[in-house]
Amino acid sequence: MDDSDEALMARVARGDQPAFRVLARRHAPAIVRLARRILGNAADAEDVAQEAMLRVWTHAPRWQPLAAFKTWLTRVVVNLCLDRKRRAPWVELEAAGEITDSAPVASELAESDERERLLQRAIAELPDRQRTAIVLTYSEGMSNAQVADILDTSVSAVETLLVRGKQNLRRALGGIIDEGD
Amino acid sequence: MNNEQLQIFLDSHGADPAHWPEAHRAAAERLIASDAQARAIFVQAQRLDALLTQAHDAGAEDAAAAARVLSRLTALPPQKRPFWHWPLVLLDWQFAPAWPRVAALAGCAAIGFMVGIAGLDRKFERYDSLQNVTAGSDIFAIFEPEVLTGARP
Repeated sequence: MDDSDEALMARVARGDQPAFRVLARRHAPAIVRLARRILGNAADAEDVAQEAMLRVWTHAPRWQPLAAFKTWLTRVVVNLCLDRKRRAPWVELEAAGEITDSAPVASELAESDERERLLQRAIAELPDRQRTAIVLTYSEGMSNAQVADILDTSVSAVETLLVRGKQNLRRALGGIIDEGD
Repeated sequence: MNNEQLQIFLDSHGADPAHWPEAHRAAAERLIASDAQARAIFVQAQRLDALLTQAHDAGAEDAAAAARVLSRLTALPPQKRPFWHWPLVLLDWQFAPAWPRVAALAGCAAIGFMVGIAGLDRKFERYDSLQNVTAGSDIFAIFEPEVLTGARP
C-alpha cells in the first residue's frame, strides 16, 4: 500500500483515522521542533503542533495536492506560530529576563551550555520573520526559494531577512562566533 | 565584488559554496582566495552557520513533546467538507437493481396480470362506454350540410 504523505492525505480526506494517526506520528516531532524554534517556548510549541495536526484532519477533504504535503504543513505551522507571536503581549526584553522554557528537559539543556544559551537568546530576540527565516534555513535545511514559498514572499525579501537576521546575531553574539568550532 | 558585498552574499546564501548561485560563485571564490579580510569574513560566516546548525539539532525533548501532542489527538472533531460535497452526495444514487426493487417490480407485474385475467377491469370499461354513447339526434346533426357553403361531410 502507498504510504506516501499524499496517499495518506487522500485517505484522511475520506475520514480514515488510522491514516491520520500514521501521518501525525510521522510529522509531529518535526513540527514540534519547528514551532519550538520559532516560538522559543515548549508549551506553546506543543499547542501549535496540536492545532496544526487538527487542521490537517479537519481540512483534509479540502486539501489540494498543489504542493508537497510537508511544505503545506510547514506553512500551517509557521503561520500559527507567527499569529501566536502577534497575539502575545509585548514585553520589554530587559524586563523579560532570560528566555525560559516550561519544559524541564528543554530548560536543563539550555542551561547546560553558556554559549548555547546565549545563542538561543540571540535567536529568540530576533524579529519574528527574521527568526523564522533563519529557523527554516538552518533547522529545516530549506533553500531561499522554499523559505519564500512558506513565508509567502519573494526570494529577495528572504535574503534581506537573512542578512538582517545575521547582522543582529553577529551584534548580539560578539566574540562568541570566533570562539566557535 | 568587494568585502561588503561578500558579507551580504554570504549572509544571503550561507557559507557553503555548494549553495552559492553560479553567477556569483567565481567572483566570491576569487575574492576569498586573494584577500585576507575577505577570507576572515568567510571563516566567520562558516562559524556562524555551524553555530546555527548545531542550535537547531533535534533534541530528546522534541520526541517527548511530540508524544504528548499525539496523546492529545484522541478525540477528533468533524472534518470540514467542501461546499460541493453535498451535491455530490445527492447525486450518488444507486441505479443498480437490488432485490427489494426487483421484487417490488415483479409483484406489481403479477398483480396487473391477475387483474387482467380475472376481468376485474371490465365493469369500468362498460361504464366508460355508457358515458360515451351519444343521442341519435346528435348523430344526424353530424351529417347535416353546413349553413354557409351547403357542403356535406
